[in-house]
Amino acid sequence: MSKSRDASVSSLENLPSENAEAAPLYIPPKERFFEFRRQPSAQRAAVLAFIGALAFFGLWEAGHYLTPAPARKFFPSIGEVGSALYVLFAERNFLHDVSISCGRIFVSFLAASAIGVPIGILMGCFGNIRALFNPTLTAWRYLPAASFIPLLLVWFGPTDQAKIALLFIGVIFFLISLVLDNTTAIQKEFVEAGLTMGASRRVILTGIVVPAALPAIFDSMRNMIAVSWTYLVIAEIVGAQDGIGAVMMRAGRFLNVDVIMAGIVTIGALGLLTDLIFRGACRVLFPWNVERRS
Amino acid sequence: MNIVAKDFTPVTNVPPLKATRITKEYLGGSFKALDDVSFELHDNQITAFVGPSGCGKTTMLRIIAGLEYPTRGRLEVFGKNVQGPGPDRGMIFQAYTSFPWLTAMQNVEYGMKILKVPAAERRERTMNFLKLVHLEKFANAYPRALSGGMKQRVALARTLAQNPAIILMDEPFGALDAQVRWEMQELMIELIEREKKTVVAITHDIEEAIYLADRIIFFSRQPGRIKADIPLTFKGGRRIKQKEELLEMPGYAELERQLFAMMREEIK
Ligand SMILES: Nc1ncnc2c1ncn2[C@@H]1O[C@H](COP(=O)(O)OP(=O)(O)O)[C@@H](O)[C@H]1O
Ligand SMILES: [Mg+2]
Repeated sequence: MSKSRDASVSSLENLPSENAEAAPLYIPPKERFFEFRRQPSAQRAAVLAFIGALAFFGLWEAGHYLTPAPARKFFPSIGEVGSALYVLFAERNFLHDVSISCGRIFVSFLAASAIGVPIGILMGCFGNIRALFNPTLTAWRYLPAASFIPLLLVWFGPTDQAKIALLFIGVIFFLISLVLDNTTAIQKEFVEAGLTMGASRRVILTGIVVPAALPAIFDSMRNMIAVSWTYLVIAEIVGAQDGIGAVMMRAGRFLNVDVIMAGIVTIGALGLLTDLIFRGACRVLFPWNVERRS
Repeated sequence: MNIVAKDFTPVTNVPPLKATRITKEYLGGSFKALDDVSFELHDNQITAFVGPSGCGKTTMLRIIAGLEYPTRGRLEVFGKNVQGPGPDRGMIFQAYTSFPWLTAMQNVEYGMKILKVPAAERRERTMNFLKLVHLEKFANAYPRALSGGMKQRVALARTLAQNPAIILMDEPFGALDAQVRWEMQELMIELIEREKKTVVAITHDIEEAIYLADRIIFFSRQPGRIKADIPLTFKGGRRIKQKEELLEMPGYAELERQLFAMMREEIK
């Protein structure tokens, strides 16, 4: 700093401080429940989630008691569903059905991802590949997966393959189109930076496009595996001896509503668990990624 | 007696870049972004492309980079015809292009990895350039933990570490705060001086152009043509370390006034 300071720039540095006492306390405006984009603290979020769940179970329980007596057995209480669940696991080897169903979801989703993710990435990268596949794949997306059940039954019979194939068909076409979007959405300058650095197309694809798109692709997979779970019961309706869906269908035939609802609760819980596993995996695999707000 | 004049032009004295009659048309020829643009870059010079918004500066730079192709014309790097991008022309973008999945250090290393620089040399150059852009303390930080200015310094280091002959910059400091901006300008002057690079930098900021450039190429509005080619002689061939020195130099205010007048003429 030059000593001869410009006269027009006066300094406040040497002014005596008159306020020796503490500055006045700032009183923030009252907190409101409905505040745009305000994120609750972790504790509050937990409390709110608990209240939300409580409300749901409360409604359920109220629904049970408000249903008039003759029909009440078709709307079992939480306790009844809970004990049905207990009986299922303790006496009817429900764990076997659960693991069968999980296995079907896992195998079908693994296959759909192994095929769908690379195709989606290639379509997102190369216009010619997209032009090659997209019109056909778009048509497939509009076909309801359930409409393939008769065909799959003719081809495979009431086998595991038929169920896995249905889950596969229900997921892959949407997965491809989501991955395609995830890939085209990466910052175009990433690819251009790679080009100007002299990277080969292979390096740009594997070293730039894939890592750039991967977190979003993982998000898409998380959403699509949820869809896969929603297809489970449909897949297991037809001639299935085992699996959560088969247990529920059999219970339906005997009007065992408590078992049906136990199945629904089980699928919900497994879905929640799947989601948590995916989120956890994301955090471990992509520590560099900006925390997304969901 | 016959005195033969010595020829001082060495055979190697070809320009780092020569653009000949570059025309770029868009929309199937119905829109002309650049019209018959020719120029040569000079070795170790910083050239600024200045001109009103939409005059084709980015288009010209991307054509040099090989990211876009001219409709007509020819582009030579050190006398060799070029087609497509290559590591001889490094580019720094306005958008932050440090890869978010790599640390600052890995980012700087990345370009050299592509060029297959041996690991030991790569490490050494990486640390060296991180130091030069004052990021050695952030070597292991991911870009999300870095400010905009720091991300641009990573990009600068990554590009310099690849040792390209020509560095292209499209408004590299355009997204930065004013104070970070002049810090970056001063850093850039220092590094370019040190590394002896030929640079083309686009800016719409006249003051920035005068500070950074040894020469300003001024583009006229659509279709882009070279309206003026201005050597910044008032600096006496010197690069200025601190930006405020500029204010005391005779000729500075006059040049800025002229450039403003030219800009105003173009946009009216
Ligand atoms: N891909 C494109 N298709 C059609 N017009 C384009 C395209 N890219 C640029 N242009 C047009 O070319 C002109 C020059 O653009 P640009 O080089 O980005 O200008 P500058 O960088 O000087 O602001 C603009 O009018 C722009 O709209
Ligand atoms: Mg531009």
